[in-house]
Amino acid sequence: MSAPANATATSAQALDPLAGAAFGASPDIEGRARFAVPATPRPSISGSAAAVVSPRGELSLRVAKRAGRSVAVQQFHQGALRVLRPHYLDESGQVCYVMVNPGGAYLGADLYVVDVEVEAGASLLLTTQSATKIYRTPAFHAEQRMTIRLGEGAELELAPDQLIAYREASYRQDTRITVSPTSSFVMAEVITPGWSPDGASFKYRELRLRNEIRVEGDDGAALLALDNLLIRPPQSDVTGLGFMEGYSHLGSLVVVDPRVDQALADELRQLTAGYDAYTGLSLTRTLAGTTGLVLRSLSNSTEELNRLLGACTGLVRGRWYGRAPLNLRKY
Amino acid sequence: MSGTYRLALQQLCDSALPTGAFAHSLGFETYIERGLIHDETSFGTWLSAFVGQQLTYSEGLAIRFLYEGVDVGELDEHLSAQLLPRQVREASTKMGGRLLEIGAEVFPSAELEAYRALVTTGRAAGHQPLAFAVVARSLGVPVEEALAAYLFATVTSLTQNAVRAIPLGQNSGQRLLRKAHDDVAAAAEQVQRLGWDDLGAVSPGLEISQMRHEWQRARMFMS
Repeated sequence: MSAPANATATSAQALDPLAGAAFGASPDIEGRARFAVPATPRPSISGSAAAVVSPRGELSLRVAKRAGRSVAVQQFHQGALRVLRPHYLDESGQVCYVMVNPGGAYLGADLYVVDVEVEAGASLLLTTQSATKIYRTPAFHAEQRMTIRLGEGAELELAPDQLIAYREASYRQDTRITVSPTSSFVMAEVITPGWSPDGASFKYRELRLRNEIRVEGDDGAALLALDNLLIRPPQSDVTGLGFMEGYSHLGSLVVVDPRVDQALADELRQLTAGYDAYTGLSLTRTLAGTTGLVLRSLSNSTEELNRLLGACTGLVRGRWYGRAPLNLRKY
Repeated sequence: MSGTYRLALQQLCDSALPTGAFAHSLGFETYIERGLIHDETSFGTWLSAFVGQQLTYSEGLAIRFLYEGVDVGELDEHLSAQLLPRQVREASTKMGGRLLEIGAEVFPSAELEAYRALVTTGRAAGHQPLAFAVVARSLGVPVEEALAAYLFATVTSLTQNAVRAIPLGQNSGQRLLRKAHDDVAAAAEQVQRLGWDDLGAVSPGLEISQMRHEWQRARMFMS
């Protein structure tokens, strides 16, 4: 028999030093209480009650269109998270921001909170300076909570570097995205098998990446896609048939746009066939005239997945915006 | 009163229940095409992964949440959003729709009517595990029993489909089912330990194979 949901929720929150911040039940200034997680329990993965109260890093960015160019109209950062000076990669007016974690890594019980809003008609490319590295988190997991809101006709390309989890690392990434029916959202990321001193793979404890995508409509924001990934190497063999299928790296791409259709899915399918990876993609349902496309790809190298994902986002960038494929020249 | 639901549950879980389960491989046909599922052992490996992933994190967990009183409309929305491979999402609502019809004929209840009304007015999609859970709960089936019965019924129809598709001998199918007992029991237990954020955390390998089924030219199954 299970305990009543409420009782479990209370105890889980008591154990969870990261509970309550950012996605808690209390509404923030924008009244985003609708994102509050339902009363059903979120189990704690650790019994340790580390006393974390405030986020280790916070970043808030609001981008709007001014005189044909996208610019930050509000920017705030605190602690171990900031952005580099913005730049423009082309003549389209899209602004590019690079997120930086000066400490270089996520440690146990670290909480990072990122809030991004792209106002109507504006366009943002958000990337990172280097790979996200999760070091050992002995007592409690590290976590990133990201809230994204796109206005009418707003565009966001989210292109972080790969995620590397070290031995005995636990990490959660919780991203809540709300788009308008006319917004354009593209997100690509790569997860590596991690790093351990002896070179063995999958030595981390847990990776949990959850993306919730909602579409603003007449009666609230309806759920379009729930992209939920959970890898827990210590609990079962994650490498074989039915899980990683013998591959080491995972790439994923999410596109939400009113122009997403089966023809685009078919085109991307043909495009991905040319890469050394095991790839699948499918359309979400259609809500308020917009549709999502989710692609997952397994391979044995970050570079191959970056090439594959780059080809897919390149096709979309060229087709929809007349932009060249992304070349961030970070290295 | 205990036990009055026994025959009803048996009818609901019988593989002859006309929901169309015979038409769905839920992704294993892709593995057959790739030559990775070709005999009893290899299908058993896939079945075990399917029970531990899809049936645990998606369908089983949805059934538990419904029993715990989470709104059926909210759960329906989450399943529609979480079942990313289109064919699997459509399989769930196709079989769910049939189950709602059959339920209305033979096990009517106010809760079932309420869910049917959401579906017929386009406010819900009508997913199979939720249709099953609504009926089972209205019949007084305890959640542990409903979970095990649902999981094993799904395992049974998938195994019957594998026996036809691979093909395997009938005894082979029975050995697979016997071996699946432990996986089903473990899954039913695991479902009780999960939380809201776990809903829909299905492994990438299973999902990719379910997605790739859309591209397969010659196929026996709709998913």
